Amino acid sequence: MGYNLLEALNVQIVGSGDRYLVLAHGLGTDQSVWQRILPLFTPSYRIILYDLVCAGSVNPDYFDFTRYTTLDPYVDDLLNILKSLGVDSCAYVGHSVSAMIGILASIRRPQLFSKLILIGASPRFLNDEDYHGGFEQGEIEKVFSAMEANYEAWVNGFAPLAVGADVPTAVREFSRTLFNMRPDISLFVSRTVFNSDLRGVLGLVRVPCCVIQTARDVSVPASVAEYLRSHLGGRTTVEILRTEGHLPHLTVPALLSQVLRRALSR
Amino acid sequence: MPTSVTAARQFLTEETASALDEAVAVARRRSHAQTTSLHAVSALLSLPSSTLREACTRARSSAYPSRLQFRALELSVGVSLDRLPSSKSDEDPPISNSLMAAIKRSQASQRRHPESYHLQQLHSSNNSNAIATGCSQAQAILKVELKYLILSILDDPIVSRVFGEAGFRSCDIKLALVRPPVTQVSSRFSRAHCPPIFLCNLTDSVSGRVGYNLLFPGQEDGVDENCKRISEVMAKNSGKSPLLVGVCAIEALRAFTESLTKGKSGILDGDLAGLIVISIEKEINEIVNEGNEEKMGLKLKEVEATLEKCNGSGGGGVVLHFGDLKGLIFDGALGDFVSPLVLRLASLMEVYRRRLWLMGAVDSVEIYRKFCDKFPNVEKDWDLQLLPITSSKSSFDGAYPKSSLMRSFVPFGGLFPTPSDLKSPLSGWNQSIPRCNLCNEKYEQEVDALKKAGSAVSVADQYSENLPSWLRMAAVDTGKGEDVAKTKAGESMLSAKVFGLQKKWNDICQRVHCTPTFTKSDINPSMSQVPIVKGPQFSMDQKQTSNGDLSINESLFPNQSPGRQIHMQTNFLPKSTPSISCTSEGRNMNFHSVLHVDVPSVTQQTDKDVPWFHHPQQSLSSCSGRTPSSFVPPVTTDLKLGTIYASTTQESKTTKSLNHREHLQRFSGSVSTEFDANSEVTSYQFAQSSSCSVPSSGEQFDLGDYKSIKKALAEKVGWQDEAVNSVSQAVSQVRHKYRSFRGINCKGDNWLTFLGPDRVGKKRIASALADVLFGSQECLVSLDLSSQGKLGHPNSIFECKELNRHDEMSRGKTVSDLIAEELRKKPHSVVFLENVDKADYGVQHSLDLAIRTGKFPDSHGREISINNMVLITTSSSITKGNVNVICGNKDVKFPERRILGAKNWQMQILVGSASDDAGKSNYMGVRVTTVKEASTFTSANKRKTRNAVESSELEKTDTGEREHKVPRSCLDLNFPVEEADEEDMGLGLSKSESSESSENWWEELFSQVYKKIHFKPFDFDEVADKIVKEISSQCQRTVGTEVALEIDEEVMVQMLAAAWLSDKKEAIEDWVAEVLGRSLAEAGQKYNLTPQSVLKLVAYKGDVVKEQAPGIRLPAKINLN
Repeated sequence: MGYNLLEALNVQIVGSGDRYLVLAHGLGTDQSVWQRILPLFTPSYRIILYDLVCAGSVNPDYFDFTRYTTLDPYVDDLLNILKSLGVDSCAYVGHSVSAMIGILASIRRPQLFSKLILIGASPRFLNDEDYHGGFEQGEIEKVFSAMEANYEAWVNGFAPLAVGADVPTAVREFSRTLFNMRPDISLFVSRTVFNSDLRGVLGLVRVPCCVIQTARDVSVPASVAEYLRSHLGGRTTVEILRTEGHLPHLTVPALLSQVLRRALSR
Repeated sequence: MPTSVTAARQFLTEETASALDEAVAVARRRSHAQTTSLHAVSALLSLPSSTLREACTRARSSAYPSRLQFRALELSVGVSLDRLPSSKSDEDPPISNSLMAAIKRSQASQRRHPESYHLQQLHSSNNSNAIATGCSQAQAILKVELKYLILSILDDPIVSRVFGEAGFRSCDIKLALVRPPVTQVSSRFSRAHCPPIFLCNLTDSVSGRVGYNLLFPGQEDGVDENCKRISEVMAKNSGKSPLLVGVCAIEALRAFTESLTKGKSGILDGDLAGLIVISIEKEINEIVNEGNEEKMGLKLKEVEATLEKCNGSGGGGVVLHFGDLKGLIFDGALGDFVSPLVLRLASLMEVYRRRLWLMGAVDSVEIYRKFCDKFPNVEKDWDLQLLPITSSKSSFDGAYPKSSLMRSFVPFGGLFPTPSDLKSPLSGWNQSIPRCNLCNEKYEQEVDALKKAGSAVSVADQYSENLPSWLRMAAVDTGKGEDVAKTKAGESMLSAKVFGLQKKWNDICQRVHCTPTFTKSDINPSMSQVPIVKGPQFSMDQKQTSNGDLSINESLFPNQSPGRQIHMQTNFLPKSTPSISCTSEGRNMNFHSVLHVDVPSVTQQTDKDVPWFHHPQQSLSSCSGRTPSSFVPPVTTDLKLGTIYASTTQESKTTKSLNHREHLQRFSGSVSTEFDANSEVTSYQFAQSSSCSVPSSGEQFDLGDYKSIKKALAEKVGWQDEAVNSVSQAVSQVRHKYRSFRGINCKGDNWLTFLGPDRVGKKRIASALADVLFGSQECLVSLDLSSQGKLGHPNSIFECKELNRHDEMSRGKTVSDLIAEELRKKPHSVVFLENVDKADYGVQHSLDLAIRTGKFPDSHGREISINNMVLITTSSSITKGNVNVICGNKDVKFPERRILGAKNWQMQILVGSASDDAGKSNYMGVRVTTVKEASTFTSANKRKTRNAVESSELEKTDTGEREHKVPRSCLDLNFPVEEADEEDMGLGLSKSESSESSENWWEELFSQVYKKIHFKPFDFDEVADKIVKEISSQCQRTVGTEVALEIDEEVMVQMLAAAWLSDKKEAIEDWVAEVLGRSLAEAGQKYNLTPQSVLKLVAYKGDVVKEQAPGIRLPAKINLN
């Protein structure tokens, strides 16, 4: 594993600080999504970048359809990376699915994470009796069948929707990374993500968390941030970004950097 | 990192390698930087016995004739290849990452499916297009078969798109590749519902399994992952009892126990093999609900017996599964029954450790916590380990009603519809119109921007109807903006705009890059079909409508053949020139009609700012014969009908336009005849005529405007000769460039950078430029990027000048937003951004984008076009070439930084006696006292003065050159170095960081601007000398020669700053004569002045000037002590 894993998932360490900061990208993107955030943190952190196994930049052969059926293998990957890098404490910034992964990882190894920063995080995307996750099961299925039918059309429609704010470069960038994913993997991972439900386990988190949420996010309703705040076990703060969309690191990198910096310093 | 060709070849069989070589050759021929999948496709299609082509033949739709469809495919591959950037290199273009990934993928899939590989091998050997047999898995390196390579290349989205454009589905092709030709395509892969097929599932589908669920092996294996995790917990050395936590935990638990009882192999092996699952869930239920403990007792006995047996046999064990933990938490009396059970289980655990596992599930940690509250030791007693469970199998299936996410696609329906909607115009056009790569790219960028602009109505409001005069001829891009403002969406308009852009870039391409004109002969028929009479009529009609709607055209041209499409496009006058000239050759006959139609449009342009050009274009039957109907190559004719927005006519200058109309009609006669004679010449003359049509603003366009600009600037800033010279040169050059219509594709043309000192001079030139270019000094947006986030400088003399006026309104906004807001307010203006080198990250980013795209984005992502603006960025820093200018002035008495710290204090005159130490100035009795040699008279104030000077120094460093590259070289020696450092520290991380990282940034930005202009430092010392002279002569005149006058240095600084700032050249002299002279005279009267008296002109600290002298920022009155 070890070295191979680092290679397979394109693990990179940049920056010159003494503290570790993990930047974990979300679904449909890869580590390049952080490039506008990076410069502000490289002087003070050693930043660990890696690609989720489902990212387009990872050789699709590494994606084992029998293994990555839940989020746990992703957590394994993350923990393995940190282990083989010899990291014993780090701050973690995770977007979307990586936020979920971060939560699970911190449950398993609470001492490893000094702080979790969760961008656009949602413990559960589907609605439930007394929970509003933003999606109905049926809607999701519809989306999945749209993805199956014509991935390209779906990406073209979904990218601007997810980006939310009208930032053409962001849409372009997101579309690019989304396209890079092999459609079947993308669909499979989406299913995995929508299938996940972290609500019951949030209380196991002991690490202080910061939930960063944009004012309007197609994937994550505002109530979710509040849900996270009240259910996460650690000391948790919520930051609402005054922008729209699911990808603040693409649309408003400067603003997000400020918030990140603030959150990390707390 | 691209892979070298030789490295890639070693993974390939001979045949595949030769195909790859072909691909590389294709890439090399087109001088592309890398060999991509597209090149591979192109090569594969052209191979003599092409497997891919054969597969396409079988996969293609029967709707089109096959020849046509292949032609379409070749075209779309060709066009896609054209879009790739080219580069000059003699070596073989290396293999791109995507293609390399495809090779790796195919290798892997070959490895995964050796048996199907054999099978396919058999099948295909029956085939006439037999694939070369290379039994590769025997070899050390698995060599990739051509077929597998093709299969994985087809996975590439770009490739599937290309195929899609030609009407192929890559999944069909894949099926055709995999299946032997005889097999008919299975009906479940119907055309309408074609599932994507990838290598991973391809073989599965071949082996005949049902449809599509094969994508989800997880589904078949149940909660494989969860089970694995559970067993991991149980198997660990400690052998803990897993308590599954999570909403899906109960399902996961059920799935696990089910698979255990079913004895599914593989879930638990090793020492965990052969476990027996006993559920006490039902019994617990009974206890809790009915208080019936009997059954539970029996059950537990049974468990015990089993465990004993296990102990005896030395293997196996029991998993005691208590179901949902919620069942055990029960408030009230019945809850009492639970605690004995908990204890009982605990004791069982105690006895049969390693043989007994408890297992349960709980919804959420909260419930578990509650349980723990009741039974604090349970975690230890039961040996529990919490296991978060985040997903379960059951959520995979379920009923699927309608989706709201899908519905929410609808707003994009117009813009991001099914690919065919948007693509067909795009792809269709792309095929027929030759553009070179560069232009194509630019064109695509703009189309992109256009698409986006359509969705952002917010962008629209900033465009006003009239174009800026200085860019009137050039700002083609504003056309888009106008369109957005005018047309609230409407796909027809979108496509029209797309067409317009395309047209534009074709023109540019043809003109600039000399791409050969497309199908010349085709144009003739279309021209002759245009009804000449209707031209003027059309434009009249257009005039009446407030916004040109496409439907109008169509109604006006009812007799058009169905193949003909009419597109409208906003456009600008000069376009007629190039477009005519490029089609002129050999088609003189038709220019009669062109001109008849065109002339009225030209006439009308005098009173309207935005002409509409009309492009009738036709798809000729001869073309449609060659290509499939969906990709009709339209032929562009350059026939134009210009009309106007009625909405812009509010500023019509009727009389003028009448004159011009007459003039132009006369002109047109001559032009048309000349067209007959010599199209080359006429096109040139036509250009002349079009510039004649806007003579009302013509003087500003005067070719010799360099001189006028220079004059205007020099009037304002007399001391910066060189800078004024280069600014006016740059501006007139850019203007000329725009006029001659060559420069529009160069972003950054309207950017200038002012480097070096003399902040006021820079600002002055900017405002003078605003005056010259836009007619008013008000058309200046001025922001100082360095002052953000700092405290204002209290009482600074510059404050009143509003040099950093955004300070007040900046609360809670990012700088980018502030700039954007200003830009929106003044769409036609000179934008003057000071100290860009100190801009924060957000602004840096925005500026970067702005210079590259011509649009300034704010932090919300809205974009403002800056094409109508002149952007001036300044930096007090010095680039390498300019260092000596500063260094030469190292020992100036009044460096600019000091002047920038000048305060707007009230002044006063003090009277004292001549101090012994300083003595009287030998020279004319006036001198400037510096802080160091301040006379004893002011010793009481000395401390204070010093502090003030120091603090002003600090401020200066803020506004001035604190972070520039050679700060120490011109550091004021009065200014302690330590404090400077401290100041640096005080500003903290972000500042020092940004100065580091931004250095590269702004140098890069500055490298993109049209011109860099270096400013000389303002010579304050000279002015100071002049002032001193002036004052002393004034002093002699009013109070006599024997009285000495000491001028506090701070006052001197103040006066210098005022002189610097004042618009009038003689302002300071006037002030000295008026105000100072009067005060001195008053002082002379008031005090009995003796030769020993020393008058001191000092600043009255703490008292800001209330009344200003006219024309200068100095007090109108000087206090007398």
